Amino acid sequence: MKTKQRSVDFTGYWFILPCFLLLLGVLGFPMVMAVLNSFAPIWTKGLSNFTLAYYRKLFNDPIFFNSLLRTVYFVGATVALHLVLGLLVALALNSAIRARRFFRVVAILPWTVPDVIAGLVWACMYDPLSGLLNDALHRLGLIASPVEWLANPRLVMPSVILADVWRGYPFVMLVLLAGLQAIPREQYEAAKVDGASALHEFLYITLPNLKPLIAIATILDIIWQTRRFGLIWVMTEGGPARATEILSVLAYRQYFKFFNFEYASAISVVLALILLAIGIPYIRAISRRI
Amino acid sequence: MNRVKRFWLFLAFVTFAVLGSAQKVTIVLSNWHLVEPHWEKSIKEAVAEFMRRNPDIEVVLDYVSYAEKETKYMTAIEAGVGPDVMHLGPAEISFGLFASRGYFYDLTPFIAREEPGFLDAWYPAVVQALTYNGKIYALGNNYQPMVLMWNKRLFAEAGLDPEKPPATWDEFLAYAKALTRDRDGDGRIDTWGFGTVGRVDPGFQLRFTPVLYSFGADYLTPDLRCAAINSPAAKEAVKFWVELYTVHGVIPPGVTDMSPGKVREQFAAEKIAMKITSAWNLPIVRTLRPELPWAEIIGVAPIPVKRGLDPEYRTTAFLSYYAMNRNTKHPEAAWRLLKFLTSKEAQEKWFRDAYVLSARRDVSEQYEPLLADPYARAIAAALPTAKMVPMIPEWPQIIEAINVAVQKGFIGEPIDRAWAEAYRKINEILEPYRPRGAACPPY
Amino acid sequence: MAMRALLIRGGVYLFLFFILVFNLTPFFWMLSTSLKTDAEVHAIPPTWWPRQPTLEEGYKKVLMWTNFPRYFLNSTLVSLSAAFISTLVGALAGYGFSRFYFPGRSFLIGILLASQMLPGVLLVGPYFKMLAKIGLYDSHLGLILAFSTLTLPFSAWMLKGFIDTVPHELDEAALLDGCTRLHAFIRVIFPLITPGMVATVIFAFLLAWGDLLWALCLTTTDSMATVTLGLSRLVTQFRVIWPQLMAGSVIAAFPPMLLYLFLQKYLVRGLTGGAVKE
Repeated sequence: MKTKQRSVDFTGYWFILPCFLLLLGVLGFPMVMAVLNSFAPIWTKGLSNFTLAYYRKLFNDPIFFNSLLRTVYFVGATVALHLVLGLLVALALNSAIRARRFFRVVAILPWTVPDVIAGLVWACMYDPLSGLLNDALHRLGLIASPVEWLANPRLVMPSVILADVWRGYPFVMLVLLAGLQAIPREQYEAAKVDGASALHEFLYITLPNLKPLIAIATILDIIWQTRRFGLIWVMTEGGPARATEILSVLAYRQYFKFFNFEYASAISVVLALILLAIGIPYIRAISRRI
Repeated sequence: MNRVKRFWLFLAFVTFAVLGSAQKVTIVLSNWHLVEPHWEKSIKEAVAEFMRRNPDIEVVLDYVSYAEKETKYMTAIEAGVGPDVMHLGPAEISFGLFASRGYFYDLTPFIAREEPGFLDAWYPAVVQALTYNGKIYALGNNYQPMVLMWNKRLFAEAGLDPEKPPATWDEFLAYAKALTRDRDGDGRIDTWGFGTVGRVDPGFQLRFTPVLYSFGADYLTPDLRCAAINSPAAKEAVKFWVELYTVHGVIPPGVTDMSPGKVREQFAAEKIAMKITSAWNLPIVRTLRPELPWAEIIGVAPIPVKRGLDPEYRTTAFLSYYAMNRNTKHPEAAWRLLKFLTSKEAQEKWFRDAYVLSARRDVSEQYEPLLADPYARAIAAALPTAKMVPMIPEWPQIIEAINVAVQKGFIGEPIDRAWAEAYRKINEILEPYRPRGAACPPY
Repeated sequence: MAMRALLIRGGVYLFLFFILVFNLTPFFWMLSTSLKTDAEVHAIPPTWWPRQPTLEEGYKKVLMWTNFPRYFLNSTLVSLSAAFISTLVGALAGYGFSRFYFPGRSFLIGILLASQMLPGVLLVGPYFKMLAKIGLYDSHLGLILAFSTLTLPFSAWMLKGFIDTVPHELDEAALLDGCTRLHAFIRVIFPLITPGMVATVIFAFLLAWGDLLWALCLTTTDSMATVTLGLSRLVTQFRVIWPQLMAGSVIAAFPPMLLYLFLQKYLVRGLTGGAVKE
């Protein structure tokens, strides 16, 4: 990797051309329009009413800031749990265990459920009276009265996060498993010869090899989790009392329920800028690495 | 008229007729009822009948779910396409938004062509609700007033007179307390007096508005320029509502996550004894628990009122409507379909098949089978006391503010603070309606 | 030492057991609900397993009443196409970014990421307008293009990461053998990055499979609808038709499962890739 010559080679453009043609053709227009829409009601009046009023409104809106905090909470918790659980399961599945095939299938299973369905199923299990969870806890003698998983503003976010972790960690697991598979065996064998412990192997071989994939998976997961919508919408619609109203839910409501297209666009643009601010160091690091 | 002229006229007529029948016009009808198994058949039959009578029109059916229809129509109409005829409801979450953005085809000219008094068949409140800036954009379809339903079995078990529903909210509370109890004797309360929607959901408005009205309060001032929830009556109403849960415990736990469907499940499971609902409840409760004789168990009563009060309006209603897309290429055909679907004949069939009350007075007040059904009759009797909420484009935002305030009350925040917050929020939303600089009274 | 290894193994199995329970409980609930009658679903307290399991209320109705088999076919077609387009185009781009230096490279990588940051809520409307202009709405092509593009940045990033781990000597050797760049890519790189490609195929497939918003807005006729869209209609105005919804969801889990089972062996085969690494 170090021996790579840094000469400019325009052949690269041919390889990335199809990718950017697709991006430009499909998302170019919608993205430009979405950004412009945060400054003016472009669909009805064009750009003649250009204004920063929507952004001003945004920065004076306590609901927006509340929602921003909820988003940080939700994204931080889910991404961290996806990563930890994904890594642990990937390591376990990569070791020499019995019934590896079976476990690999089971591990991926939750991901095959569309997130709206996942939300419905979990909401069904969380039901205080007819749900599986309270019934199980009650039978085990752990609770005396029904727990209001989704109705209690303090419990609702952890409940939603648990459902999302169930749905979301298999993806990270799969990426990391693929990464683990790609680590050359020789490195471990060499380490064995040197008498390295398992922890040593993990810290000095596994983790460095996985690092680029972990970095990619994390930044992408952050972006997707910030946009995650269907699961929360069917479970709580952002409630109770805005306790789970993350920005994607707020933007959806403003756009499709209130038809405040401009305001919804402003929310999303601000969110995209925040993500970009987080993402740029990542991009820098990743493109410099090689 | 000479012969030659007559011949040419005849020829023109024949050509026209032949061309007309050869060129069938295709229009799309989008209706969320199509995805409800027990209603799909009825709609299909009605459409088949329409096509039989109008051989020049082919109707294509478009399936859409209840929750997603507005999203889908809006995206399509904005892009210049979409179904020709749409069925939308509840009216307050879509009508103002769609009408103010010009998504509908103006029906006023079509109606002007009909015989005078065409609109008199509908309840005036419906016609008024579906008029925007003096133009009529839709015709009413389903129109179901919210009423109080109670479980006579549970009333009797709790020692109450099963034939005597509460008439005032004081009575209601006393009954609800008596009905909230431990029926299986394990020391835990398992049946509650009342169940309601506490989630952010269109169903919330339908259950909360009757309480507000029956306390003699309203959401907005009559000129729609300011919120009116700072009135003592409104404060009293919301306090009463929230305390049913927080103080009296007559509503089962988890109210802030209760959707209309879940409350219905609780009612069917006999976990709650009373609820605010309408005609749709009976058939669905029957599906959920077919083994019970629901016709004997359920009672229907008008919404209770505050003691000593006799408000003109004490309830609201679920209103759905048929409208035409502004992008339709065949307005004539679409109008014929819309007119047929809202006709007396079609609405009577709709009641027979779906047990839904009509926005047409000549159906809900005159149709024999409807009047012969004790439940339908009792529910229809509440229609004249129903008032629709204002169909302004800002309504969804206004009711969300109210909904969240009530949620805050339910989860234990001081309701007065949450209510004041909602008051300010609504006035902020209504700012464009006020002359520049004009302020609303303080809370 | 043997004791410790045993303990570790035991720990691993215990952990996997918890994962098993965590992963399967919702599935168990789905399966159980799909075999219940409409009335039993709402029992308080719930029955863990139906008193009399029945296929009538869930499976039969969902297969008979709705256009479900058709939705199935549509979803499979759309998701598979999107998955393969996204992976192929993504692999090409990944190779371009991994192996070449050209002006604007970092910037373009950034664009790739930035294209992910606006939510679909905002994009679906303008995209629909675009499709309506060229008459492509209510077509599977419109959906396929959307899903391929939405997953493309992931595929490109992911596969760039995998190609980075392949030693340059390999494709340089191929070039010396007289291969063109594209040839070298197909002959040498492709086989070595299969695990990554499997991951992106599965990812793109599932994104397309589980999407609701785009399918809802971009299709109008019933014969174009996808599985998730069909399932969402079982959440009706007055209630969720649980047995049918769960039966449909159980059936809908099969195509992704089969795809995964089929691709699983390739997920493992990439091992050989490292053999030549210095």
